[in-house]
Amino acid sequence: MVFTSITFLFYFLPITLVIYYMVPNKLKNIILLIASLLFYFYGEPKYVWLMISSIIITYIFGILIDKYKKQSKIFLILSIVTIVGILMYFKYINFIIENINLIISNKIHFIYIALPIGISFYIFQMVSYLIDVYKGEAKVQKNILKVAMYISLFPQLIAGPIVRYTTIEEQIEKRNYTIEKFSLGVRRFIIGLGKKVLIADVLGELNTVVLGSNEISVLYYWLYGISGMLQIYFDFSGYSDMAIGLGKMLGFEFLENFNYPYIATSIKDFWRRWHISLSTWFRDYVYIPLGGNKVSNIKWFRNLLIVWILTGVWHGAAWNFVIWGLYFGILLIIEKIFLGKILKKAPKTLTRIYTLLIVMISFIIFNGDSVTSILQNIGGLFGTNNIPIASKESIYYLKSYFIIILISIIGSTPILKNIASTNKKIDKFINCIEPIFLLFILIISTSYIIDGSFSPFLYFRF
Amino acid sequence: MKDKARNVVITIGFIVIFMILFLANILKQDQEISITERRKLAQFPEITLKKVINGEASKGIEKYTVDQFVVRDTFRAIKSFFSINILRQKDNNGMFEKNGAIYKMEYPLKEENVNKSVDKIKEIYEKYLQEMKAYYAIIPDKNYYLKEDEHLKIDYNRLKQIMSEKLEHMQYIDIWDDLELNDYYRTDLHWRQENLQKVVKKIQTSMQNENMEEQNYIKNNIGEFYGTYYGQLGVNVNPDEMYILTNETIENCKTYNYEKGEIGTIYDKSNSKDKYDIYLSGATPLIYIENPNAKEQKELLIFRDSYGSSLAPLLVQNYQKITLIDLRYMSSTLLDDYIEFKNQDVLFLYSTLVLNQNVLK
Repeated sequence: MVFTSITFLFYFLPITLVIYYMVPNKLKNIILLIASLLFYFYGEPKYVWLMISSIIITYIFGILIDKYKKQSKIFLILSIVTIVGILMYFKYINFIIENINLIISNKIHFIYIALPIGISFYIFQMVSYLIDVYKGEAKVQKNILKVAMYISLFPQLIAGPIVRYTTIEEQIEKRNYTIEKFSLGVRRFIIGLGKKVLIADVLGELNTVVLGSNEISVLYYWLYGISGMLQIYFDFSGYSDMAIGLGKMLGFEFLENFNYPYIATSIKDFWRRWHISLSTWFRDYVYIPLGGNKVSNIKWFRNLLIVWILTGVWHGAAWNFVIWGLYFGILLIIEKIFLGKILKKAPKTLTRIYTLLIVMISFIIFNGDSVTSILQNIGGLFGTNNIPIASKESIYYLKSYFIIILISIIGSTPILKNIASTNKKIDKFINCIEPIFLLFILIISTSYIIDGSFSPFLYFRF
Repeated sequence: MKDKARNVVITIGFIVIFMILFLANILKQDQEISITERRKLAQFPEITLKKVINGEASKGIEKYTVDQFVVRDTFRAIKSFFSINILRQKDNNGMFEKNGAIYKMEYPLKEENVNKSVDKIKEIYEKYLQEMKAYYAIIPDKNYYLKEDEHLKIDYNRLKQIMSEKLEHMQYIDIWDDLELNDYYRTDLHWRQENLQKVVKKIQTSMQNENMEEQNYIKNNIGEFYGTYYGQLGVNVNPDEMYILTNETIENCKTYNYEKGEIGTIYDKSNSKDKYDIYLSGATPLIYIENPNAKEQKELLIFRDSYGSSLAPLLVQNYQKITLIDLRYMSSTLLDDYIEFKNQDVLFLYSTLVLNQNVLK
């Protein structure tokens, strides 16, 4: 089930909230667990057993790590191998086979297997829990239902953010419910819904049109690049907003996952602002255990490359994700060696343009389906192959999507927030119209979701 | 508004709106069809263990909840209004309104589809029609006549070129200069029967129907017509007025619909949901018109799409029998079973909309 579906918005969510707030506090976790399992089962019935099995494994290993201190390292390694092994099998097995087949003559058959929804997120939560228990940073959870609820909690289950056990350890036991928190949750949720449905999905349409076009031009490639990077931001951050909002409605406080990444002044800065729960996960569970930057330069660069290849591969089992990760790894090394110092002294406008360009190209790599298409899409930005500057079609789509692109550019910066915080009158005005604005966003988003099913047959016979 | 009051308003507002919509959707009676979208709406799916496990049930429920959403058409109209008037998008799902008329962009030209459509026509010609007088005409979609450069149009010249290169043994009847924008409904894709005199004359002349007489028709207003595009775009424009042309010849004709196995009349007044279905009962694979008052024993075969339904009655004076074949709904391999090819006149009459899709079987 996805948050932007009618089933979720107007059936699952109201029913869950009503039951959740009707039952006494001691039953709330059970209700959440049941709701979360239903939520997952509805979207991924075949693999709910996989998530439940992984939860049981995590629970047992958590207990073993905590109980048998002397063997805890062995249990930790065993648990990580098992849990990550599940991820490797379901996400990467065919990618591995494909590449082995390139070098051997007796070809291995591919395994017919679908990627279980949310597996990369919940496996990473399990790993963080086990490592935190091993390191003594989290208390072992002896109630399996609470472990299950932590892992399967529906707001963050299928698209993050990756919530650490330590973040919500206390909240699992006791949560505060206030109107203020609930209303903040509603605001975050509806804003996230609007970001996803009204911006990301609309920009997605533009991307689809551009990809299907035969009339290529430089303008087209820029439309593709810009709308692509805006789409991915509004899609992902919109989803995170909805997750954080839902968390608040249910009494939880999740950490922020995005912090205006497109105003970053370097790639390092960008990754402090983009998918924060993932980059901090890799920092704490891979980069620092490898020695971080407190080692020789060679090892430091090695650590960076390992982390960034893993970050790339986490996003998908294909070479473009490996290249994408490496691309950032190398750029971060370059920034660390010398570019970072130059960027610090350079005007912010220039450093922001540099970052945006690098990030835009990164998402072209991210979205590419082959090296040839990636090179073609990047080359197109600079007019390679003597393509025209613009075509009638590209101008049409630029005009047609101009306002949405403009809104999304403004929305990806804190401009409005800054204006409101520095001008009391505007802030007061925004406060007054906020409920109406949220209602407006909800109605328009619903209308877009409903219209998404629009598939008329001109020649339908009644 | 103070923070506390605002929080209360947002919280209560959220709960009330979601509960109202939840209850409204639960209580609403399901509808079978959407008149505006001209399609069947998804119904609550059958729930079996197998379907639950393989995900079919949840997919069915997703479709059902969206299709049966309370005041669905209003929400679609809101979306249309927002994307066109607020976001200033040039089109909504490829549709747009201009000077009180609604258009659907047919773009881009899908050469592969056009080639497949033409190959199908050529295949039929070579298999059945080589000894017969075969003609073809292309009906431009109404975007062709729209005098603006704002929206995208297909490369009409390229389409005609593909047709002429492949159909060199058939005679082309060019009707493009015999039509103008007003000859099409404002709220629909089709042309207006009452405005087809010039097209009819061009076809008759080209097909050497020398004995043709000037026909007089009575123009009957059959009321307002909300065309296909009206419901699809969801904007408010005035409805069209629909007319049918009748005279003694037309009124004496009988039709036979092979699919329904029914004898009928040229104008089917059985109140179909789509008013355009008044012409020869709308979309059907195979139908013929018999003209008992024909002066000659000639027959005409028309391979056609829905545009042909309103045109054929105006050609009937020259023929004893007109058979209309819609290859979107019947396979060309079945032609032998129903039609005896014996020196009839043959006309392929297809709109650019159909040629640009690969729908001829």
